[in-house]
Amino acid sequence: MKHENILELRKLTKRYPGTLAVDRVDLAVRRGEVHAIMGENGAGKSTLMKILAGSFDDYTGDIFINGQKARMHSPSLAKSQGVEMIYQELSLAGALSVGENILVGRLPRRGLFIDKRAMEREARRCLSQVGLNVDPGQPVDMLSQHEAQLVEIAKALGNNPSVLVMDEPTSALSRSEVKRLFAIIDQLKQRGVTIIYISHHLAEVFMIADRMTVMRDGRKIVTVPTQQVDPATLVEMMIGKPVGQACIQRRCVPGKKRFRVRHLTRRGFFHDIRFHIRAGEILGIGGLAGAGRTELARVLCGIDPYEAGDILLDGRVLDHRSMRRTMKQGLAYLTEDRKLQGLALQLTAQNNLLSALHIKRGGLLGARKQRDSFVSHAEQLQLYPAQPKRQVTQFSGGNQQKILLGKWLATAPEVLILDEPTRGVDVGAKQIIHEAIVNLVDVGKCVLLISSDLPELVTLSDRVVIMRKGHFVGEIGKDQLSENTVLLAASRDPEALAHD
Amino acid sequence: MTKPQANRDQGRELEISLLRRCFSAMGISVVIVLLVLVGRVVSPDFLSTDNLFNIIRPVTLLGIVALGVMFITYGGHFVDLSIPAIMAMSGMVAVAAQGLGLVGSVLCGLGAGMTIGLINGFLIGYLRLNPIIWTLAMNFMLDGLLRWFTGGVQVYPDYSTPTGAMFVQLSRGELGGVPGITWFWLGLSVLAAWLVRRTGFGQQLQLTGAAYDVAATSGVPVRRIILLSFFISSLLTACAGILLASLSKQGTFTNGMGYDFNAITAVVVGGVALSGGVGSVFGVLGGVLVIGLIGNIMTLAGWGSFDQMVARGVIFVLVVALMTLLARRGGQSHE
Repeated sequence: MKHENILELRKLTKRYPGTLAVDRVDLAVRRGEVHAIMGENGAGKSTLMKILAGSFDDYTGDIFINGQKARMHSPSLAKSQGVEMIYQELSLAGALSVGENILVGRLPRRGLFIDKRAMEREARRCLSQVGLNVDPGQPVDMLSQHEAQLVEIAKALGNNPSVLVMDEPTSALSRSEVKRLFAIIDQLKQRGVTIIYISHHLAEVFMIADRMTVMRDGRKIVTVPTQQVDPATLVEMMIGKPVGQACIQRRCVPGKKRFRVRHLTRRGFFHDIRFHIRAGEILGIGGLAGAGRTELARVLCGIDPYEAGDILLDGRVLDHRSMRRTMKQGLAYLTEDRKLQGLALQLTAQNNLLSALHIKRGGLLGARKQRDSFVSHAEQLQLYPAQPKRQVTQFSGGNQQKILLGKWLATAPEVLILDEPTRGVDVGAKQIIHEAIVNLVDVGKCVLLISSDLPELVTLSDRVVIMRKGHFVGEIGKDQLSENTVLLAASRDPEALAHD
Repeated sequence: MTKPQANRDQGRELEISLLRRCFSAMGISVVIVLLVLVGRVVSPDFLSTDNLFNIIRPVTLLGIVALGVMFITYGGHFVDLSIPAIMAMSGMVAVAAQGLGLVGSVLCGLGAGMTIGLINGFLIGYLRLNPIIWTLAMNFMLDGLLRWFTGGVQVYPDYSTPTGAMFVQLSRGELGGVPGITWFWLGLSVLAAWLVRRTGFGQQLQLTGAAYDVAATSGVPVRRIILLSFFISSLLTACAGILLASLSKQGTFTNGMGYDFNAITAVVVGGVALSGGVGSVFGVLGGVLVIGLIGNIMTLAGWGSFDQMVARGVIFVLVVALMTLLARRGGQSHE
């Protein structure tokens, strides 16, 4: 029996400690359509897709596949229901062959051994579905990014899925490769495979999707046919009406130019980057993931080297030979991934909060000074609980992020580079962090703000430069600054627009 | 988060922190007290002063080595498996260099050990070679080199010369009824504790061990820190190697055998996490003492040395298993 809706979600909910990541979502996906899921970071798209992939056993609500109620409590259950995922990060084992990757978990056997011939035959059959002509015996490492992506799709198709979920499938592809991918998606559609497509690239979504669903703050906002919306309306729906957020008062206007970057280049990452930050100014960098923003930040603060250009602070060329040197000259860099690069999770709050300061000084403060310094920063950031000996893992995400910010504020930086300073943080902590940032620039310091959180970028920044594929492609002044202008500038694809 | 959920989490946290405390400095003291009680039951002579030195003497050199290993483990790089070869080499070099006088001979022995430490540290810190594999290979190579250079024979200090006589006396001095090497061990412990707890180096080593990427993006010169940890370890190992040569009156290839495993056991039993960044010198001292106590008790109870080796292996596995379990439940190395 064929049901019109291949996939139906009813009141689907997934709760993380402290947040509702997916909040009573109802969604119907029709057989054979390309259905785009749109939303900002943190809107709940990824969590929703993870539920479909069987990553959680504690969601509530119902999932119907082809009209039948389905249990998706483990990845193998999801696969057996005909749902396959293609992840942003490829899930291939590089050292294994193409064939082994495609047939992983279902390698044909003859007795104790793997039937190489059958494996090759089956792998070729899967590869032909995506129009890829490579030797199945070749290791995946030898393939280009694009070919690896196609192998990933072939692997998913090997299980004859009825629903194929693609999460940002084009982030690593060139323009022409994207076109080939779209041709393959068209073919799959004709064969009756339903595709759920997640992407930040508006232009792409408008080219490929039949219908789209907009999500915001874990809720479904609307599902509409693509013909009935235009990019501007879509962006509006993704962002929603500005929440009654108290606007933070800035007490000073930007002064003289303090931090300057001239013609900065790191080959393969970014090219000819030029900008300045004035005293008391917050400069935002907007752009999509992979545009080169984090790479730029790592170079600025001395973790990575650069090949050409200058970095100047107060007219003096920065001694850039190590991160510790740039720290001593007044730079600080709050890394984007708090758990991997930000905090030593099993050490204490005080240990983490004072770590950067101790490194900068090359020695420890006395016990009393340590305590005083911790207390004053904990107070400023309203750390809760304000216990110096508590392990970082035992704080909530928002309070962990406060510790991370405190770690860099404690070094009394002249230039603070912030990379996603409030990712995955609740509204209250976000407000406190924003206030601390504004307090810093109010005393004449410079802040470089990298954020994918558009409301944050727009409300905090004095100016925003847009970065795309390693280049600065535009600057938006305070008077023009809005979420619309930033998102359009960041995701605009000159070629794609030329088609319209 | 709902109320019962929060309560359950709190309960779990409490349980974990209690178990974790078993491995802290306090925990090791409790273990020592328990072992002393067991020893008293096994033998009435257990608490005599003589027996106290019987417990400490065999583990003094181990204590010096374990102090060094602690720097590596604390820095997140497990252990230096070239310890046996470094001990053998520094001892043999010191004996062979006795023509240079006592100071010269000791310096040559230390220099040999420090050179190996620099090589280990450079390859592991700067080229990021796997510490276990590399130091295992280093041990093998050094062992071969030593045998090749000496033609496979042991070297003995020449007692007839003043240098030779002094060299043999090096490990035999006493102060206030306590062996000089025990004082030396305690002095080094104080120094190590100061390095770990009170200096910028100690703080940076801790951060490197607890979270390498965090340290690297917080301005810690991680490579240099790791090099230093291997350097310190091999310096202390060389000290122990020279003293062992003096104690056994010979420089031989087998001098350092077993010290690698015993040292890492002492370090882990003393509460230094194999994942790095957690532990203390006090704990390591306790770990060494526990090994001494267990050895002594087993000897008093009439166990042979083979049985003792098996027992030590079992203890190591149990402690590591328990700590890994704790770390996993604490959410540090989940999945």
